[in-house]
Amino acid sequence: MTRLRQGAWGAVAWLGAASAWAGCGDALPAAHRLLAEAPGLQIAFAPRPAPLPAGRHFALDIVLCPAPGQPMPAGLQVDADMPAHRHGMNYRASVTPLGAGRFQADGLMFHMAGRWRFIFDLPAADGLSARRATREFDLR
Amino acid sequence: MSPRRPGRWRAWLRAMPVALLPSLAAVAGPPAAAGTMLDFSADERARILAHGPWPPPPAADPGNALSGRPAAIALGRRLFFDPRLSRDGTLACASCHQPQRAFTDGRPRALGRSRPDGPTDAPLDRHTPGLLNAGQQRWWGWDGAFDSLWSQALHPLLNPREMAATPLHLAALLQRDRQLASLWRAAHGAAAPADGQALLVPLAKSLGAYVATLQSARTPFDRFRDALARGDAAAAARYPLAAQRGLRLFIGRGRCSLCHAGPLFSNGEFADIGAPFFARPGVVDSGRHGGIGALLASPHNLLGAQADPPPPGQPDPATKTRHVFQQQRNFGEFKVPGLRNVARTAPYLHDGQKATLGAVLDHYATLSPDRLHADGEQILQPLQLQGSDRGDLLAFLHSLGSAQPDRQHLPAPARRQR
Repeated sequence: MTRLRQGAWGAVAWLGAASAWAGCGDALPAAHRLLAEAPGLQIAFAPRPAPLPAGRHFALDIVLCPAPGQPMPAGLQVDADMPAHRHGMNYRASVTPLGAGRFQADGLMFHMAGRWRFIFDLPAADGLSARRATREFDLR
Repeated sequence: MSPRRPGRWRAWLRAMPVALLPSLAAVAGPPAAAGTMLDFSADERARILAHGPWPPPPAADPGNALSGRPAAIALGRRLFFDPRLSRDGTLACASCHQPQRAFTDGRPRALGRSRPDGPTDAPLDRHTPGLLNAGQQRWWGWDGAFDSLWSQALHPLLNPREMAATPLHLAALLQRDRQLASLWRAAHGAAAPADGQALLVPLAKSLGAYVATLQSARTPFDRFRDALARGDAAAAARYPLAAQRGLRLFIGRGRCSLCHAGPLFSNGEFADIGAPFFARPGVVDSGRHGGIGALLASPHNLLGAQADPPPPGQPDPATKTRHVFQQQRNFGEFKVPGLRNVARTAPYLHDGQKATLGAVLDHYATLSPDRLHADGEQILQPLQLQGSDRGDLLAFLHSLGSAQPDRQHLPAPARRQR
């Protein structure tokens, strides 16, 4: 019974999280929206142009969604790498805050096909330690 | 009569690929069984299609408002073949970038001057890169020290070991040569400035406008790729079987297409393939590492005042320059060359150290992982060539060339004229 109750609460929690994920960055193009998660924070982002082009520069439109009661991070750094190849990008992304948790990252380029990993770094602030969210992406 | 002529011309063009097949087979080894096509998987087909279509849309020289303008292209073409641009009148751009050799020179390293003002008597440090499809690239020079064709053109023009031009002598040439002066006026709307310094960038932009038009012809591979795209198995099966096997190896087990990607067969970036760094005894060529330093220090890069802004609504070509940065792993990286017409551009690598395509394949087959990946990067592994692999890869690489003439991609005057 206890296990069943735990399972039910787990399902409710999962549904709640899924609902929050669905709401984060829902103004971004749904077909190309990606999600990443750091402790107490969800990050929705979408490439522009979309779909993400191989061997061409692209930008990211990013929305930060802190958990209820959590402060909005003031800063954000964006990077990407290919863990299997053990190399990163040849370009350093620049990030522009647009207010209300929205950011624009420019100058990214994935220069070869394969599995890339987006890396979002949030500096320590407001009593919170530095956080990192990642999201893998297969570029064909 | 006239309505019939285009139709006959198209029919002749359609017949051309078939007519070219015997010559392709001659360079691709033993003839393959006619009408055979490998059972390419959906994933393989997608990878093959990514190497086209060809030709791509016309390219513009970044930061060059003259690019695409016929008068500037005509001036640039005239200048490109004129040895009087060099101080002693012996070297034109075309002396090293020879059209009949896909705009290379066939030498391991370009011929230059061992001392300023001396004769052209000594090899420089690097191989002459071809210029076909140069406009489609992102960076220019083996180290990518240039972010536009026009800024690249300034380097050999002014380098004391190459053309060794001076602003003064260029200004004098454009003042005294009536034909050049007339072409200049048509391209720039005014007489060439007497001040040579003011003349340099417009002259380089004229050269860039011309070079951006150089485009290689369609190839047997392109016809195969397009047949695959439209589901024409019969047409696709005319592509020699050995080339098909080589292509499968290229996009698959060989992992060649990781870097030799897209329609150009280059991702436009840089790689360390284990080639020696030494340009000469005691002199190290740092490759991309030094190239990025030179690029960012140049007053002629796309972030500088001499670069023209892009047309409204067009992407900013300076994005690459604004975001590129120097990393330790860039040391010893050189540009990933495009492979179109590769069989016509021997010798190979940044310093021409490999005389033949076979020698390049042998390099990849025997490279030492210990020599590579000094910073931990793991892309290259020794190419495990078995059975007919080597011949198949060569057949495929030869199929990236064409017996058709290369062409200058001239813009339509009605759309491109100022």
